[in-house]
Amino acid sequence: MNGAGEMEREPEGDDVLAAEYVLGLQTAEERAAVGRRVEESRDFARLVDWWETRFWPMAAEFAEVTPPASVKARIDRLLFSSAAQAAPGERSGFWNSLAVWRTLAIGSLAALVAFAALPFLNPPAPENREQLVASLAADGSDVQYLVMFDGQTGEVGLSHLSGAPASGQTFQLWVIKGTNAPKSAGLVPVGESARITLPTPIADAMEKGDVFAISLEPSGGSPTGQPTGPVVAAGGLTQI
Amino acid sequence: MTPQDITKLIVRTSMKDREAFDLLYRNTSAKLFGVCLRVLGDRAEAEEALQEVFVKIWTKADRFAVSDLSPISWLVAVARNHAVDRVRGRKQKTTDIDAALDVADPSPTPEAIVVAGGQREQIYVCLDELEADRSAAVRGAYLDGDSYLDLAARHNVPLNTMRTWLRRSLMKLRECLER
Repeated sequence: MNGAGEMEREPEGDDVLAAEYVLGLQTAEERAAVGRRVEESRDFARLVDWWETRFWPMAAEFAEVTPPASVKARIDRLLFSSAAQAAPGERSGFWNSLAVWRTLAIGSLAALVAFAALPFLNPPAPENREQLVASLAADGSDVQYLVMFDGQTGEVGLSHLSGAPASGQTFQLWVIKGTNAPKSAGLVPVGESARITLPTPIADAMEKGDVFAISLEPSGGSPTGQPTGPVVAAGGLTQI
Repeated sequence: MTPQDITKLIVRTSMKDREAFDLLYRNTSAKLFGVCLRVLGDRAEAEEALQEVFVKIWTKADRFAVSDLSPISWLVAVARNHAVDRVRGRKQKTTDIDAALDVADPSPTPEAIVVAGGQREQIYVCLDELEADRSAAVRGAYLDGDSYLDLAARHNVPLNTMRTWLRRSLMKLRECLER
């Protein structure tokens, strides 16, 4: 444990910084600075996740304690106080259930309320759609994309994070507004980043809460104009 | 609930599905409340923190997609980070509160050591390779939200000494965990 040789290992590296962040050893100011790095650098975020995963077995030592019912009531008031109730009903297929679209529509209203409730106090402003982002992923799928929509140009930028279609197949991007059927936004070009220009009617109507989804289709795209393959990634748009 | 079930609920929550959010709360709030309670050491503050944690989960559930974590460990990380931020945000009180709780026990609980297959988790194997007080410090940080300052006070060493100790210990831990 002693000896000057220890110091040559540069314990101040990113690895240790990430571990310190996960353990929460730093002061508020230091934590805030490292937190920004987690946001900005995917490599650094991976280091943080590496430690988080290694330390995770210790979390078994956190006892489960049922919180009082008043906590959930306060959360609901904060998030949904003026929103309608979520639609009841069964969800069977991801694509086939009307209840999903209905809930998505109500959900986006709730999202606006949630945004308004946050300290930024943004008024709900669906017409302000300059920059919208969504993180696309789905259960049982390793496909992940980050999507940014630019309201000025009607362009969608896709950053590919993981997952690829099998040969002879292609990814197709869909836009879903509320209870409406998905509209095709085109095939997703292969590559780390890709751009798709949305048809003007779709681009003009894009707003926060709309959903981007990616389905697996035969090469050349869906023959029906509606998704025919499984949804491999989906996510709602939020404003940045 | 299987991890797949929880993933499904998080993804649906990211799509602003309130029913999924309610189910997610029902299935995970006890664990996350346990995290807030342990780190904050104060019931009223832990309730407030849990509330904020779930507001965060509702608004940021899509961030789960870009993380490498399992669904429940992502949720616990959100709760732990938030609770630690709260503790760091308040002044000085931490050491007193932590000292008032029996938090310095260096031996892991039996259920934590032995996982389903009877195999010991690697993190405990590696913590045991550290000197006892350093391994206790790492555990204290993870479970009780102790900062370098708290740990220096508890172990009665200067802040810089504690920092050097722990950084070396973290390097050793990494070497062991990579084996």
